[in-house]
Amino acid sequence: MASSIVRTCMNIRANVVGVRGAALILNYVPRRNHNRYEMKYRREMYIRRLEVGPEKERRRSEWINWNYDCEIFAFGKRLSEDLSESVLRQAFVQSSYIEREKQKRKELGIDTDVMSFQLQDNGELAEKGSELLSSYIKVYLRNMYPYMFEEGVSSIHDYLVSEQMLSYIAKHIGCEDLVLSEDFPVKSSTLSQTFKAVVGAVLKDKGQERAECFVRDFVLPQLISKDINELWELINPMGLLSAVLALIGKGPPEPRLLWKSATNTIMSLYWVGIYSDKQLIGKSPGETVTIAEEMAAREALKKLMKTDDSRSPLILGRMADNLKLDYKRVNVSAEEVTRKHFSNEDRHNNTATS
Amino acid sequence: MATAAKKMIPEDFLKNVLQNGVGRYVCQLQRITFRFCKSHGGSRHMRDFIENHMLDFSQKHPGVVVYLQPRRNRPPSIVAEYLNGGREVLLMSGKEPGEICKWTEHLRTRSGIQIVKMINNIHTETPSTQGIWHPFMFRDTEWAVTKFPSKKASEVLKIGLTATDLVLEEQQGEPLIDSMNTCKIDDK
Repeated sequence: MASSIVRTCMNIRANVVGVRGAALILNYVPRRNHNRYEMKYRREMYIRRLEVGPEKERRRSEWINWNYDCEIFAFGKRLSEDLSESVLRQAFVQSSYIEREKQKRKELGIDTDVMSFQLQDNGELAEKGSELLSSYIKVYLRNMYPYMFEEGVSSIHDYLVSEQMLSYIAKHIGCEDLVLSEDFPVKSSTLSQTFKAVVGAVLKDKGQERAECFVRDFVLPQLISKDINELWELINPMGLLSAVLALIGKGPPEPRLLWKSATNTIMSLYWVGIYSDKQLIGKSPGETVTIAEEMAAREALKKLMKTDDSRSPLILGRMADNLKLDYKRVNVSAEEVTRKHFSNEDRHNNTATS
Repeated sequence: MATAAKKMIPEDFLKNVLQNGVGRYVCQLQRITFRFCKSHGGSRHMRDFIENHMLDFSQKHPGVVVYLQPRRNRPPSIVAEYLNGGREVLLMSGKEPGEICKWTEHLRTRSGIQIVKMINNIHTETPSTQGIWHPFMFRDTEWAVTKFPSKKASEVLKIGLTATDLVLEEQQGEPLIDSMNTCKIDDK
C-alpha cells in the first residue's frame, strides 16, 4: 500500500518535470508578505507624472538603437527595389535640413567654401517623381474607365495625389523616421514630398517602367473600397445626362415617380426613375422628389460611365504586369459635351422664335 | 461574460494596412531589438539565439533592421517596432532559443495593429440573385399616382362564386359545372 503511494507520488513528480519550464514551477516559493509601500509609491509616481506632463516627443534617431545606414538599406529592401544608396539617401534630404546644417557650420566658424558641402536636397527628385505620378495615374484611370468623363478622372487623380494620401502612404512604408528635415513632428507636406522623391529615385535609378510599377503597387490600391463616383463633385447631373443622351442619339430623360411612402411625415420617401425612349435607365430613392430625381440622374450617369457598383475590380498587382496602356488616350470632357449640347439647343430655339 | 467586461475588450473589423499585398507585400515590422545581459544566467538562451539563429533571420529578411542592446542584469526581451508606429515588447525570460525563434517570427508576420476581438460585417454564402427585398419590390408603379380614396382600389376582390351565388344558380336550374368552368381567379 505504502509503496504504491510512493510510486504515484513519483509519477506525479515525473510528470511535473516533464512539462516544459518545470524548473520554474519546482523553484517557485509563494510569497508570504506583500509590499505595503508599493501602492503608495505607485500613486506618488502617478501624481508626479501628471504634474510633469507627458514625455517630450523625440526623433527616433535620438535613441541608442539607431543606425541610419542600416535603416536606409532596409528601406530599399523593404520595397523590394534594388536602388543605389546615394540616390535613396538624396530622396530623404529636405532643403530645410541643408540650410540648418549650413547655419550650424557657420556658427561653429567652419568656412563652407573650404569644406565643401556634399548634400543635395530632394527637390529635383520630387519634381520628377510628381510628374510621373500624375501622368501615370491619369493614363491608368483613363484606360481602366474608358467611358468616364475627364473631370471624373482628374478628381480621382486629385484624391490620390493629395497631400493627405501621399503622406499616409509615406508613413506606412517607413519614411517618417528616415526624413532629414527641420520640422518635428514631421509635417504631412514634408512626407508627401519625400514620397514623390522616392518615386523620383526609382525613376532615376530603374527607369520609367519600374517607377510606374511602383506607383501601381503603392498608390493605386488605395482606390479599393472607395466610391469613385463620390469623388467627383457634379453640380447639375440632369443637365449632363440630357447632353449625353443627345450625344449618343437617345431620347431626352424623363423623370417619373415610381413609388412614394410616408409623404406627410419627416420620414418621407420617394423613388424616382428616369426613362429615355421608354426605357428605365436609372432609379433612386430620396427624401423629396427633387433629391430623388437628382440622385436618379446620378445613378443613370453612373451606368452610362460604366462605373456602377457592379463594375469589375481594378487590374493591379501581378495581373497588371502585362498591362497594355494607351498613353495618348483622352476621355470625353463633360464640360465640352454640355456646352456643345446647350449651344445647339439655343440655336434651335432662336431659329424657332425668328 | 459580464456586459461591462465585454465593453472593455476592444473590438474592430479586420484591417489591411495600406491594402498591403494587393500590389506588393511590404513587411510591416520595420525594426526589432533584442535586449539581453552579457553575463547574467537569465539571458543564456537569448545569447544562444543571437549566436546561432539571429544572423539567419537578418539575412532572410533584409527589410527588417536588427539591433542588439546589451543591458546589465536585466531580463531578456524583444522590442518590435512597426511601420504604423506600433511598438510591442515581449519578455523572453526562461524561453529557449527555439521558442525565441518562434516569437520573432510571430512579431515579423504581424501587421502592428493592436490585437482585438474580431467583428465582421453581415455576410452570406448564398447572396440573393434578385437583390435585397424592399417594400416596393413587386409594387406596381401605378399606385404612386393614384388618388385615394379611389373606386378601383376599394373594389372587393372577386375570387369566385360565393355560396349565395351557388344557391341562386341551383334555384334557377342552370347547369352548375359550366358556371364553375367559367369562373376564374382574378389576380388583380
